[in-house]
This record gives sequence, C-alpha cells and structure tokens, in this order.
Amino acid sequence: MMTTTYRRPTREERTLINRALDRWGAFDFFQDKVILVGDSNKGSRQVCLVPKGIIIESAIVQAQPYFAGLVLGQLRKQFMPSMQGADLFARVGRRNEYYVTVNKNAEQLVLYGRDVMGDSIVEASDRLGENEVVILLNAKQEAIGIGRTRFGGKSLLQKGKITVTTLADAGYYLRGEG
Amino acid sequence: MPDVREFLDKMDRPPTRYIRVNTLKTSRVELADRLESKGFLLKGTAIPEVLAVEKAPIATGATTEYLLGHYYIQDLSSCMAVEALDIAEGQAVLDIAAAPGGKTTFMAQRMKNAGSIVALEPSERRARSMSFNLARCGVYNTCIFRMNGTQAEKLEMKFDRVLLDAPCSCEGVIARDATRKTSHTPEDVDYCSNRQDSLIEAAARMVRPGGILVYSTCSFAPEENEMVIDGMLHRHENIAVEPFGHGISGLTSFGGIEFDGQLKKARRFYPHLHDTMGFFIARLRMG
Repeated sequence: MMTTTYRRPTREERTLINRALDRWGAFDFFQDKVILVGDSNKGSRQVCLVPKGIIIESAIVQAQPYFAGLVLGQLRKQFMPSMQGADLFARVGRRNEYYVTVNKNAEQLVLYGRDVMGDSIVEASDRLGENEVVILLNAKQEAIGIGRTRFGGKSLLQKGKITVTTLADAGYYLRGEG
Repeated sequence: MPDVREFLDKMDRPPTRYIRVNTLKTSRVELADRLESKGFLLKGTAIPEVLAVEKAPIATGATTEYLLGHYYIQDLSSCMAVEALDIAEGQAVLDIAAAPGGKTTFMAQRMKNAGSIVALEPSERRARSMSFNLARCGVYNTCIFRMNGTQAEKLEMKFDRVLLDAPCSCEGVIARDATRKTSHTPEDVDYCSNRQDSLIEAAARMVRPGGILVYSTCSFAPEENEMVIDGMLHRHENIAVEPFGHGISGLTSFGGIEFDGQLKKARRFYPHLHDTMGFFIARLRMG
C-alpha cells in the first residue's frame, strides 16, 4: 500500500521548486499558493499544490490524507514535472524555450506515448539545448506530454529523426486507469 | 410511480449519455465546437455545464479532449446532487463516499478551485482511481482521506456543505447495468437502509449551523430515501428540508406509512420523466 506523508518543503527544496516554477514561466502564479512535499513510502518526493484554507491545512497537518491537492512533479536532483503539473504550467505560465509545439499528427502519436520526429515540430526555440526537459504542446497550446530533447538548436527540427523522447503523455490517464 | 409502463420500457433502453464540461480547463462553447467538429452531436440540459451526447462517432472516453480533462462523463442526475449543494467559492465542503470523484470534480469547478474539499473514501483502489480523475480534471482544492463516513468526526472539522451520496442498492442504474435486476435482493435494500441511517447521522454532525447537507442515492426504494430522511426529521428538530427546483416531489407515504410533510420538498428523478438515471435528492438545512 502506498502512503504519503505531507510536510512543508525545506529551504533547499523550496529553492529547487522556485527554480522549476521560474523555468516554466509560472513563478508568479504560485506566489499566493501553498506547496507541500509529500514523502511516499516508496522513496519519492512529490511536490503538491494544495488549497489555501484553514480547513485543509489543518487537515493535512493533523490527519495526513491519502492524497492531497495536485502533484506538480517530483523532486529528484532536479524537479521533474508531472503531466498534471505540465498542464497547469502550460495554462498559467509564460511561454519560453522550454515549451515545444508539435503538429496534429504528432499530437496523436504523443498521446500514445510515441517519440517526436523533428519534422513534426511546429515551434521550438533555437536556444534550446540537448538533453533538456520540455513540455510538449499541441496546436492549441495545451500540454499533451513531457519530453527530453535529443538535439539542441536547429538540429531539433531535422527531418526523419526522432529529436524529442516522450517521457510522459496525457494518454497515460486512460492507460493508467485501466 | 407515474406511468409505470413507460418507466419499464425506458429502463430496457440504453440510457442517454451525458458529459459535464470541466470549466476549470475550458468553456462549454469551446468544448462543443471542438467535439462537434469531430462529428459529435450535443444538446443542452437543465444544468449549463452538462451536455447530452446525441451522437458520438468515437467513444466518448477516447477523445483528446477527454484525455486533457476538458470533460467528465457523468449522468445529469449525479450533477443535480452538486447543484443542490448551492456551493460558493471559498467554502469548506465534505464529500462522503466520494470515489470515483465525478461529483467532487464538479464541486471543485463550481468553487473555481478555491476553498477546500475533503473527500472520504475507504477503499484504496477507489481512492487511487479518484486521484487520477482529480488530476485529469486539474483539481487542486481537494484532499482524499481513506475513511468511512461514519468516522468523519475524527477529522474534528465542520463544513459549510456536506454531500452524502450514500452507497445504495443502485436500482436507478438498471438501464446502464442490467445485472442489477437480479444481483440485488430486498435484504440488500434493508442492509443499505441501515447503513444509510448511520451515515446520514454522521454526516449531519459535520455540518456547521446554517450549512447544507445534501443526501442522495441512485435508488428508487423509499426505504433508502424518504424513510432515511423521515427518520432524521423525527430525531432532530433543527433540520429542515429545503426546496430544490428540479425533479418531482418525494413521497409523503409508502406502504401505509405516513412521512413528514416536508418530504414533498425532496426530489425524485425518473428515467422516463427526466431522461436520467433513477435518483433521489434531499437538501437539508441544519439549524
């Protein structure tokens, strides 16, 4: 059975989280929000957005829920966004080089967990380097996946090659529920 | 029951499918445009966020919009329970027996993700499944506690709104699940009724004075509906049934037993009259 213990982030964790929020252009949105860290008995550290409110805060501290708020991502050496975290960042954050937009065909493939070919990328920044975590967007600028670049700069758009590895995708919910 | 023959005919036909627009992520107009461009035919209902699916060229649960959490597949009657709560942003809400989270996610969107929802679900499997639904819908004002509703007092909190969608014999969903015709017995109704009595007592203790408790089931059985509420009205002088503008009146007598006159204000939903699953709702104001 999975159990999670919720607590306030340490100063070091807070720094990592703030850097991550800044990376995704969403720092401002989270200024009036409460973020907790959930330590799972399986060893992961989840970063959770929880509601501001006396009822919930006291409930979390005193009673330790099974599940709290929205998991924005996990803390390892760095912050790795979850799919729902990516979705929120894409909705509230400023666009920057860490967002990559793909075409309709690639959207369907990403939703099945497939990687992204260079020729299906519609928009990506020249400044993006190799081995960077990016949020994959569809044409409507909605987060459909999380990827890692295999190339940087203009090489990201090269034809006939996979240039972004898909790490997570929104289709997971359907597959995960089953 | 009015028009019994029509009722029986309707229960043997596939029920109307409904989707609820998740306004935390999109608007009704935007979603309707996107689904209609894929060949869906949608129709409005008595609840603005809920659309009837009249034609679906692909499975309703397999669209990109579904994966992105732009809508939730949910019967209109189920949404009525949340409508009856009359929720406002910033309130504290308790949702008892909450999984799989359809009503919880609707509450969260009505609250614009502000305020707080405490959801109780004893089963780990169902709580986990619920966490998937909350995540898909972008809900962050909710905590799930693995707890039976009768233990809710351990939380030592009071709430503005409490929803008890009580575990029941599910007679009302026979149109969707025909096995219910034979898988349940009159003894099950008695068992459910006793459990509902305990749950509603526990739920009532969690409501702040002046707050609202909504009790609902997807059963037609008066033993699980009017009799449960009648018992509450007899045991507690400070509880009043409030009117709700959908459905038809609750029963005021059954099998020779007269119920409190306030039961007229409780609401029943019938498949052949309201094109929903069978459903019962009572909105109780706590003094």
